Amino acid sequence: MSLVAEALVSQIAATEPWPENATLYQQLKGEQILLSDNAASLAVQLSDVDVSKTESDIPGVVFRPFCKCVICLSKWFVGQMQNICLHLGHSLSDGLDEVQKAEMKAYMELVNNMLLTAELYLQWCDEATVGEITHARYGSPYPWPLNHILAYQKQWEVKRKMKAIGWGNKTLDQVLEDVDQCCQALSQRLGTQPYFFNKQPTELDALVFGHLYTILTTQLTNDELSEKVKNYSNLLAFCRRIEQHFFEDRGKGSSSIRLS
Amino acid sequence: MAAPLELSCWGGGWGLPSIHSESLVVMAYAKFSGAPLKVNVIDNTWRGSRGDVPILTTEDNIVSQPAKILNFLRKQKYNADYELSAKQGADTLAYIALLEEKLLPAVLHTFWVESENYFSVTKPWFASRIPFPLSLILPGRMSKGALTRILLTRGQPPLYHLREVEAQIYRDAKECLNLLSNRLGTSQFFFGDTPSTLDAYVFGFLAPLYKVRFPKVQLQEHLKQLSNLCRFCDDILNSYFRLTLGGISPAGQETVDANLQKLTQLVNKESNLIEKMDDNLRQSPQLPPRKLPTLKLTPAEEESDSLQRLSP
Repeated sequence: MSLVAEALVSQIAATEPWPENATLYQQLKGEQILLSDNAASLAVQLSDVDVSKTESDIPGVVFRPFCKCVICLSKWFVGQMQNICLHLGHSLSDGLDEVQKAEMKAYMELVNNMLLTAELYLQWCDEATVGEITHARYGSPYPWPLNHILAYQKQWEVKRKMKAIGWGNKTLDQVLEDVDQCCQALSQRLGTQPYFFNKQPTELDALVFGHLYTILTTQLTNDELSEKVKNYSNLLAFCRRIEQHFFEDRGKGSSSIRLS
Repeated sequence: MAAPLELSCWGGGWGLPSIHSESLVVMAYAKFSGAPLKVNVIDNTWRGSRGDVPILTTEDNIVSQPAKILNFLRKQKYNADYELSAKQGADTLAYIALLEEKLLPAVLHTFWVESENYFSVTKPWFASRIPFPLSLILPGRMSKGALTRILLTRGQPPLYHLREVEAQIYRDAKECLNLLSNRLGTSQFFFGDTPSTLDAYVFGFLAPLYKVRFPKVQLQEHLKQLSNLCRFCDDILNSYFRLTLGGISPAGQETVDANLQKLTQLVNKESNLIEKMDDNLRQSPQLPPRKLPTLKLTPAEEESDSLQRLSP
């Protein structure tokens, strides 16, 4: 979106009261959605949005290789979690002072940098996972030649990006070590508090929950990623607490999720 | 620890030991942790590789990226983070990620993608340090690498044009600078009184932006308004890099010499003038001081009168 349009949209969004009909479109839970996208959409769900439609419900489109979650207010917004939060017009972190906001942003970048990239690496650059899970899932809603073409195209794109940021030569072990370092940092920051900042959840809590929950509950060919996260008991307790507090209380039957 | 540690990196200019961010991070960390590092500046001879600079070589190892080099130095017991608590260590990781995501694209853009800057400053500087046939190819390749990195990490669909991404990355960079300034506050370093890894990273990213003279400077202007960050860079330069400054940047040394020369010339001229005036005064005829001012004065007396009043 060009800059002017974005500014205008966020102005409009800020002046409207929180709309009732905000809908989150995401890929099909059981079949199509991938690790990183699930993480992003879970994070947005913490902001009280109705999750019921799937990508194919987007009207008027023949095929659409979307990979991020889409949120519908009076307009269409495609984007990552931070942009969506911007468009929501109210912020979960209004109570923080400047230094804390700086810390929050820094930790969000850390999660994006390490966890998200590790998830992408695992999904697209690890041959075992790619062959068994990712290709099939990614191409599932499309007819025959398209599913292969789109999957290969996406894989090529992700590999290019990995190379550009210097992850191209990393082995799986090094990636897992990075994830471990990131989880250690998050665990040390969380300590014994209920949430990362004060007693209220902020965008950082949403983001961390989204990623960690997805890592813990998604079935992959090897479980090493989730094992790394399970080493940190306060992070596990954090995920459980948020799940109980926000997802079960809403009483959504189909999308209630259980942490094993 | 006994093995000599050699670092090959890009050289310096404009008062800095190196204008390449990653090389500067490693150099700063080595100074902070006391690692004895022998710095080999890349020049336009054919020795040394230019591939993945900065590169640390010891007897048995070659280590290449800044994060890995810093890990290696820590394992060799050169640890600048010894006094940090666990939470501060976690904060370090987070802030480094912030720097890489928010500030680095704009720094890369300022150096390598903005055409005025690239063609008038960056390319000639790097080309002068690379031997002939490569000097035509390598800067171009580095520039393309920077552009690709910016587009791949910041542009969302693959068809985005650079112009739309530019505004966003500069906004992010300014916000990042503001956040760093808020975090630093009035303290000397980010965690207390001793510098640590985070200080090395921040210095490495900010100092080239601060010191290198570019034609198109919007980010530099913003940085100069954040006086605590400028003071932070200057402090580190003065305390840790002053002694090696003369050796490493001959261009800087020459301008200093030229300035010194000019100054001494001026001072000499002034002292000559003062001597001449003094001589004039001594040679002029001395008249007794007048007690009462008279209205009519002859020209000769007037002149000597004014000279009398001038002399101490």
